[in-house]
Amino acid sequence: MSKVIDAGMSDELAAREDMIVCRGVKKWFGDFQALRGVDLTVKDREVMVVLGPSGSGKSTLIRCINRLEVHQEGDIIVDGVELSNDVRNIDKIRSEVGMVFQQFNLFPHLTVLDNVTLAPIWVRKRPKAEAEATAMQLLERVGIPEQAAKFPGQLSGGQQQRVAIARSLAMEPKIMLFDEPTSALDPEMISEVLDVMKGLAQSGMTMVCVTHEMGFAREVADRIVFMESGDVVEIGTPEHFFTNPTEDRTKLFLSQIL
Amino acid sequence: MTDITMPPPVDELAPEPPPSGPVVWARENLFSSWGNALQTFFFLFISWQILSWLLGKLVAEERNWDAVLTNSRTFFTFNYPLEQFARMWFSLGALIVAVGITLIAFGFEPRVRTSKIVQSTIGLGAAVAVIGVLTPVSGSWRLGLIAVGVAIGVVAWLAGRALPDGQTLPFWSLLVGFAVFVMVLVWIVPWGQNEFLDGEYIDEPGTVNITTKQPWTVMMGLLLGSFFGARALARVVPRRILQLAMIVWWVMGPAFLLFLVLRDPAFDWGYVLAVDIPIALAFGLGGGALLYWLTEPVRGEIARIVGALLLGTAALTWILAFFGVVSMLQKIRLSILFLALFALAAATFAGERSVRLRYAGIWMGFVALTHWLITGINTPSTLDIAAPPFIGGFALTLTIAYYVMLASFPIGALMALARTSTLPIFRILSTTYIEVVRGIPLITVLFFFSIMVPLFLPGEMELSELAAIFIGYTLFSGAYMAENIRGGLQSIRKGQFEAADALGLTTAQRTAFIVLPQALRVSIPNLVGQAIATFKETSLIAIVGGFDLLRVGNQTVASQPAFLGQSLTALFFVSFVYWVFAYSMSRASRSLEEKLGVGSR
Repeated sequence: MSKVIDAGMSDELAAREDMIVCRGVKKWFGDFQALRGVDLTVKDREVMVVLGPSGSGKSTLIRCINRLEVHQEGDIIVDGVELSNDVRNIDKIRSEVGMVFQQFNLFPHLTVLDNVTLAPIWVRKRPKAEAEATAMQLLERVGIPEQAAKFPGQLSGGQQQRVAIARSLAMEPKIMLFDEPTSALDPEMISEVLDVMKGLAQSGMTMVCVTHEMGFAREVADRIVFMESGDVVEIGTPEHFFTNPTEDRTKLFLSQIL
Repeated sequence: MTDITMPPPVDELAPEPPPSGPVVWARENLFSSWGNALQTFFFLFISWQILSWLLGKLVAEERNWDAVLTNSRTFFTFNYPLEQFARMWFSLGALIVAVGITLIAFGFEPRVRTSKIVQSTIGLGAAVAVIGVLTPVSGSWRLGLIAVGVAIGVVAWLAGRALPDGQTLPFWSLLVGFAVFVMVLVWIVPWGQNEFLDGEYIDEPGTVNITTKQPWTVMMGLLLGSFFGARALARVVPRRILQLAMIVWWVMGPAFLLFLVLRDPAFDWGYVLAVDIPIALAFGLGGGALLYWLTEPVRGEIARIVGALLLGTAALTWILAFFGVVSMLQKIRLSILFLALFALAAATFAGERSVRLRYAGIWMGFVALTHWLITGINTPSTLDIAAPPFIGGFALTLTIAYYVMLASFPIGALMALARTSTLPIFRILSTTYIEVVRGIPLITVLFFFSIMVPLFLPGEMELSELAAIFIGYTLFSGAYMAENIRGGLQSIRKGQFEAADALGLTTAQRTAFIVLPQALRVSIPNLVGQAIATFKETSLIAIVGGFDLLRVGNQTVASQPAFLGQSLTALFFVSFVYWVFAYSMSRASRSLEEKLGVGSR
């Protein structure tokens, strides 16, 4: 199967710098092959949405990008730094790449403010007062400054996910990864998280989002990647993807969900 | 679409709660069916038999409770010299003051519901009445006990009806109540004056001796004074500082009392000024400057190298000492080791100026305290006591238990982390340690450390009996502690690790800030269980020569001519003391769990 790395890019997008480059990324869990040679390029300030049925390797792919999973073959280059077993490279990439999880993964024993300031203080070595001021700005940006002194357990799911986004942003990352950020939320809370993500996209953040929110994908994505069985099946603009997909598997997927 | 206005929903009245009360409760829980009723009667009968047998033993003809009254000082401090006893009182007073301040510093001032007090008092009355019924005593005693029990219950019940619902009392009123209770015990209750005067047994009627009354009055004054004093202090001093001060006190303070107050070391001040203080200053200031330099964020790599070098140096000094090549004060070796550990952690705690100053400051405080204590411990004692440890009885039990718990905790945490580490060498070492120690009885460990280890030590080194017991018991307890904490570590979800990794925290930071705090919170019930076990098992130190509470009761008291054969009486008392402390610990842990549980999930 031939796949073009810069498929679906406008000229303007193609001219930008590469932020993430995946070349022939393969990954196995035991005998099960989760990624079958993924080729992908994410450009600076691009919003890429990854779609696909469950088990298609979407989460595995973005977890490989900040090395929460280790790929066995191929190359991943993030902001010019190649992912290898060198610990310093990993820590550097992780502090440049923010990640938002499906289950929020806030630290339950710390207040919201401490959740947000922990990494800036200890990883970036920021003075505490400065880190707290930044944290309050970020909490305002995600719309919950009044919850700063509370513990995560006292917040709703939507609020927790917004804190998680603020926590990642506090590290001033160049790239944000979203691993199904709304899948664990009650329906009425999904939009408050998506609104924050839209704002983030408009501010020019490079984002890779695994999600099932088709409305979000259609409205915000620069490009949509469709994956199945560990393979990238099709890459294209939202317009191309939703109105005129070329691959049969994409058409089947769309017919099932729309 | 037109606006639709919905009428607000109307609440229906909640149904009347079903009737309740002791009769209803008993019918529903104890006599709900024939089988249930039968079981109830059966177990009531069994409990009745056991209780009346036990109470019979307590009041039996051969029980001579004077054995306990006369020996109360022996039970708690064994043969600590009477003319030095002011030191004992000073230590107890210091502990009481610390308790008072700690209560305030950590905001432990719960209001107490009066209904709860009323319930407890009714329960007390019922217990007295039941004891009256069950105890095989003469008729007038029995009637008296029943009457008193019923009277207490009725008065409490009437008071409960008169008081408005939901009323609470401030915590200090309980403290005052406790102080008044103790005052009644020492000033009013006619225990009788029993004591041994020059080997002669004296038994006179009346309240206790003035040498008991006076100090206890002072102690209660200190309790209330420190509580209210700390309250006033907390308005001026920030709570965080009070808390920090109290934590430092509880770690170092008891050792200060033990070695500098109770042992009364005979300091050679010339030597202290010429040798000890210069060494402490060199390590404190030099090490502090080094650590301040190393905690500059860009020097993480250098800090690791310096730490590793220092660690190697420390190991080398011990190896050389073993072969008798280089002689050096033990505390210099220890200080190099500690400085190595601080240097290794420097990269993790690097940061801005104030953070670095604080880190260096912590090191200097640490050096000051450890050097001071080591000097105090190493100086010969002026106390002249026949038995080897200078304290005995309950004081020894409590000291060993407290410090074993305190010292085995970091060992346990480190071992638990090592056992869950990804590095095989750590995993193998800690697993071996834990499994070996857990497979050996405590008595064996104690024998090994008090008898075998001193034989292997190089010539000039000595290991006191107390230190041998302490080291052996700590290593033993550490293995169990490790398993308890490992349980907590395993309960932490994978997502917490991933979130910490995704933020770029290093493994050490992830462990210190995310994993351990959560794991320890989960482990509290198990750790307290372990603490209670540690406390009770201190009785085994009797086997290697310590005069702990149990041995004093079982051996010392029972061998006094006036109380020959009274060991069972003494054992009843000893069990009661153990129970009071173990039960208090378990209650304290439950309230700690509740407090820490707030907002955690």
